[in-house]
Amino acid sequence: MIRSKSRATVLASAIAVAAITISTSVTALSSASAALPSWCGPKKITMGFTDGFGGNSWRLVTTAAVREEVKLCPNVTKLYYADGQGKTDKAISDIKGMVGKGVKALVVFPDAGEAMLPALRSAYKAGVITVPYRVAPGGTEGKDYSKFIGSDFVLAGKLWGEWIKKNLPDGGNILRISGPAGNSQGADESKGLTQVLGSDPKYKFIGADPFEVTGWDPGKTQEVLTAAIAKYPKIDVITSDFGPSMVSALQAAVASGWKVPAIATSDGNVLGCFYEDNKAKQANFKMMTISTQNDHSRLAVQWAVALATGGKKPADKAYPSTLFEDSVSGSPSKVQCRKDLPGDVYLSAKMSGDAQAKLKTN
Amino acid sequence: MSALQAREVKRSARIQVSRGMRTVIAGVVILYIASYIFAPTSVSKVAQMGMLPFAACLAIVGLGQTLVIQQGGIDLSVAGAVSLTVVIVTWGPDRDDSKLMPAVAAAFIAAIITGLINGFLITKTRINSIVATLGVNALLYGVMMGLSGGSPRRTTEKLSNFTNNKFFGLPHSIYFGIIATIIVTLIVKRTVIGRRFEAVGANPRAAHATGLNVTRYQIGGYVSAQILYCTAGVILGGVISQPTAYQGDDYVLPSVAVVVLGGTSLLGGRGFPAASALAALFLKQLDMFVLSLGVPYGVRTIVISFSLMLGIALYAVKWGSIGSKIKKEGGQLQPV
Repeated sequence: MIRSKSRATVLASAIAVAAITISTSVTALSSASAALPSWCGPKKITMGFTDGFGGNSWRLVTTAAVREEVKLCPNVTKLYYADGQGKTDKAISDIKGMVGKGVKALVVFPDAGEAMLPALRSAYKAGVITVPYRVAPGGTEGKDYSKFIGSDFVLAGKLWGEWIKKNLPDGGNILRISGPAGNSQGADESKGLTQVLGSDPKYKFIGADPFEVTGWDPGKTQEVLTAAIAKYPKIDVITSDFGPSMVSALQAAVASGWKVPAIATSDGNVLGCFYEDNKAKQANFKMMTISTQNDHSRLAVQWAVALATGGKKPADKAYPSTLFEDSVSGSPSKVQCRKDLPGDVYLSAKMSGDAQAKLKTN
Repeated sequence: MSALQAREVKRSARIQVSRGMRTVIAGVVILYIASYIFAPTSVSKVAQMGMLPFAACLAIVGLGQTLVIQQGGIDLSVAGAVSLTVVIVTWGPDRDDSKLMPAVAAAFIAAIITGLINGFLITKTRINSIVATLGVNALLYGVMMGLSGGSPRRTTEKLSNFTNNKFFGLPHSIYFGIIATIIVTLIVKRTVIGRRFEAVGANPRAAHATGLNVTRYQIGGYVSAQILYCTAGVILGGVISQPTAYQGDDYVLPSVAVVVLGGTSLLGGRGFPAASALAALFLKQLDMFVLSLGVPYGVRTIVISFSLMLGIALYAVKWGSIGSKIKKEGGQLQPV
């Protein structure tokens, strides 16, 4: 009995070790580079990148952008990557693991927001250049972490609002969709929308306030969107900060005879192709997208490397929200669809669609 | 056994409407009536067509969990199993329809291997099922991450059509849910192997004493469960055109909840697959109902939890005996 118990313990430990080993991949970097970017200083460092949730194509491209950017600086001798798999406790232990590995710079996508602050602080206190980006972790720069690289999501909301005002001058009902409950990105976007449209009684926000919660999960998005479509017979605009996750829901609704309204969102090839496939049959279907910002991570890497290697700090302190496609004006671009590429590539990213299509493993 | 008792047993074997089943049917009917009155949009065609494919997936996962729970176990590798399948059937073919069938075959092979590992760990090394399946779940996630880098690809056209095309106005995915329920129910309730499976779950020692190969039935339960999770994963991969790598995460607790709602005891023994499947419909319609009510997110979760508690209490608490006790003691409950 005792023998079988100890065997069981060994077996369980082996499983756990195998799982941890496989899920934390290590990448050695080639060190061939001609002209060094200004943010790449002379000190040699190892670096870590921890993602709160790495399980979708957006994250895949964003992580690939991190790798590409790091390769530009040969003084970063190694890049470690860990995926928190949407679990706050794993994301926290990933950060601790990186500190344990002795990384000198750490870029963190703190999906869980303020829950990540103690882990960020402990990394920072341990002397690691800690750069959270995209999701605000609270706390203060220089005390809890080295530098936070945010993006202006209020501006994203304003860009949507202005487009809605221009293209639906007679007003309408607006449904807002975002990720997890209380995420700062969705709240800021909603703030931007309200700043532009809130004072005008012609525009009415429908659904939950400040947004419908989907966790950016396509399955949940489908449930939430179908419930909203059924509940509100008149939806004139849908705003979403992860456009591609709406496509399966939109397809299902179209199959039931629903008319697609105007959509203000972020780009993705699958969404662009959905627009191309439906624009002829759907008279009210206008679409604008802002860049989905896969390259936000590059700016965070530049800051982390600059601070850790003694390079020059980048000029930008936040990543800008920019318009990408507009089906009405065609400016800065018409809606783009590359049928020869997978649906889950992002044509607004610096990395080409073809290169994204080839990304498969870490 | 008296002749009367024998007749009772015979009749019950023929009709077989369990208490859990009656409760779930009542729950579903009440829920649909409430939905119709308080949130009529939640029973509209668009809402139902959006909800039913997910209910079908949860039903199939619930069937698998029922089999494991019948053996007195609990399977926490649901999340990893469904996620791995979704990744294999989308990432593997990478939009190429011709590679879909090999990918589906690979997913089922992986499922059988996983079931064997689970079964082996639990029956041979006697690791507690919670610990063993949790470890295997981590392993499945590890394999999934190693394979795909944590990013599934878009569903292939063929898989999407396979699950979403309609037959008599309903998407195929719903029929798969119904067919899986019928097959599992028939096997468990109408075949010798199924009855023995229940006997092993109810009392492994007695079953062993009667000459049944207990281990084989127990491992069979875990393997069958994995095959069902895999089936649900394939369908889910088709329903969601751009899935994430952790699509199975949402199925762990609901899969246990539907089994409990369906009246299968967590201690093992008799199982009610059809009731579990119907409980999946109950849970998903409850989601849709609460979503359609338009209440804030926090209230939504409270309403769902409360309804679940109520649903379980409906049959878990012996209301009749409480009533008679109150009557007997003059309307006053005495401390026990």
